[in-house]
Amino acid sequence: MNRFAWVAAVVLCAVGCSRCTDPVECADCYPEPTPYELDIPALFPPMDIPADNPMTVEGVELGRYLFWDANLSADGTVSCGSCHLPSSSFSDPSEVSTGVGGAQGVRNSMVLVNVGWSPSFFWDGRSATLEEQVQIPIPHPDEMALPWHEALARLEADPDYPGRYGAAFGDHQITQERTAKALAQFVRTLISKDSKYDRWRRGETTLTDSEFNGYEIFLREGGDPETTPGGQFGGDCFHCHNEAGTLFTDHLFRNNGLDASFEADPGLAGVTGMPLDSGRFKTPTLRNVALSAPYMHDGRFATLEEVIEHYNSGGVPSSTIDPFMKYTTGGLALSPVQKADLIAFLHTLTDTVFIHNPAFRDPR
Amino acid sequence: MKNTNNILAGLAAATALFITGCSIPYFSDRSDVPGTVRFDVQATWEGEPYALGEVVEDYAGHPIQLHNLQAYISRVELRDKSGEWIGNDRQYEVNLVDFSVESPRVVEPFPAGQYDAIRFGLGLPPDINGQVTPADFPNDNPLSVEGSAGMFWTWLTGYIFFKYEGRTGAVGSELLSEPIAYHCGTDSSYRVVTFELENDLWLWGQQLHTFQLEFDAAQALYATEPINVIDYPITHNGPGDTLAYALMDNFAASWQLVK
Repeated sequence: MNRFAWVAAVVLCAVGCSRCTDPVECADCYPEPTPYELDIPALFPPMDIPADNPMTVEGVELGRYLFWDANLSADGTVSCGSCHLPSSSFSDPSEVSTGVGGAQGVRNSMVLVNVGWSPSFFWDGRSATLEEQVQIPIPHPDEMALPWHEALARLEADPDYPGRYGAAFGDHQITQERTAKALAQFVRTLISKDSKYDRWRRGETTLTDSEFNGYEIFLREGGDPETTPGGQFGGDCFHCHNEAGTLFTDHLFRNNGLDASFEADPGLAGVTGMPLDSGRFKTPTLRNVALSAPYMHDGRFATLEEVIEHYNSGGVPSSTIDPFMKYTTGGLALSPVQKADLIAFLHTLTDTVFIHNPAFRDPR
Repeated sequence: MKNTNNILAGLAAATALFITGCSIPYFSDRSDVPGTVRFDVQATWEGEPYALGEVVEDYAGHPIQLHNLQAYISRVELRDKSGEWIGNDRQYEVNLVDFSVESPRVVEPFPAGQYDAIRFGLGLPPDINGQVTPADFPNDNPLSVEGSAGMFWTWLTGYIFFKYEGRTGAVGSELLSEPIAYHCGTDSSYRVVTFELENDLWLWGQQLHTFQLEFDAAQALYATEPINVIDYPITHNGPGDTLAYALMDNFAASWQLVK
């Protein structure tokens, strides 16, 4: 190659790559994306990252832009972040979220906290991976209501996105799969690990007497031992909101005694078709629970006090109610002080560092 | 004629090669190459296959519907002809059998050899239970946070060894109004289940030997001590609670090994 050709090639690469449209030509124009090192705190389990979607700095950043982009909704008014607000621990303070054109969903928006450890997604577990889950809301008529082909066309027409896809994936090609991968990468970074509970577990602070009493109630079996075999006047919280891995959920599906029948929402049974799964919904994490009202899959409880009162009552009997619910033996039998202590402990799971983390905010 | 002789010689050579070539490495390697024993696990109710959700009657006539049946199986070992129990040396390799899963299996490698008994731990031995942190295990390990979902109490009390959950009601009633929640754990609840084999198991190198392992959920309520599910519907193995130990004795006596 003569000197002129070399110069031409260098100029072409330096000037032309940002505008080139052929993914093959562009493949050599972007450096390898930078691996993103997730900071997994002590006591947390390892997080499984899909082999075909390794975390990269550029992928996470692209995901953040996409997460906050209202242009991915039909009328340009709703982004993922519209229903997953940081101030509400990336959930929605409304019972059900409002989508494009005022459309109402049927379930409360789930918190996006430590979901990188979740083996299933949605209240009914209908998505097995984050990459699957993040593809649902954009075309959903009650949410962002934008068909995927239109969403991709908008991203391609944007002056900024092709370069971001190139930086994250090596070329400008914008696809549904890549969009899902970038969104999933960003959501995996939403790790809460700096609550008072975490600092206590790390030995950096102490709990108040009320908070510690609440922690012990959290870990004790529920019910009056006079009426409930094995009862310890506890809250019976730990069975489902398990402390293992400090995730405060077992990620399983349970009927916690909200309703006697399930015509309104069959829960997991709507996915599996199994009668035993009727009325079963995913156990949500309790991290940031004080920030994520309202509660339950349909947002029926506005306060933590109402939630505790529900469990204290034992719940409504049904064909699939969980045996942990003390519906036959008078409920948990918690005293007013015990309820207050339990709520005090739940407040120790509030992580303000997490909700104010600038890396999670709208980058624009 | 010469052609016929050549063909016969060739056939003889091929036959000899087949016999010697196939069998000699197979047998000579058997002490070095492990075999595999697989247990296909099945729930039964009085010997008949049982699926979670089916309504049946217990020994006393109570209607029973099981919703959740899970058990840790650990330390699977075979006894060789010298009387030594042989198992793998991977301390944290355990199995969580979930009867809601179609065809649950326990698969273990063993050295090739001749064995006359099988045993396994029901639950987790004390050197694991209460001694480990679930977060330290990869998510595909049954001891991990994800792998033990719903089967871990706390760091102090360790894992739930056996979960037997469902609903029941009064004798003669069809109304399943009462919960059953038997959660057994703690070191004192660990049990060992042993099967003496009628015929010795010859396990060759690279061979897979399959057993059918049945858990009779009906016998689990009376095998060694009858449990009245209405009077004693719940245990979490708390201090002073003897129900869990009686249940674990029942659970341990309710396994059948079917060849």
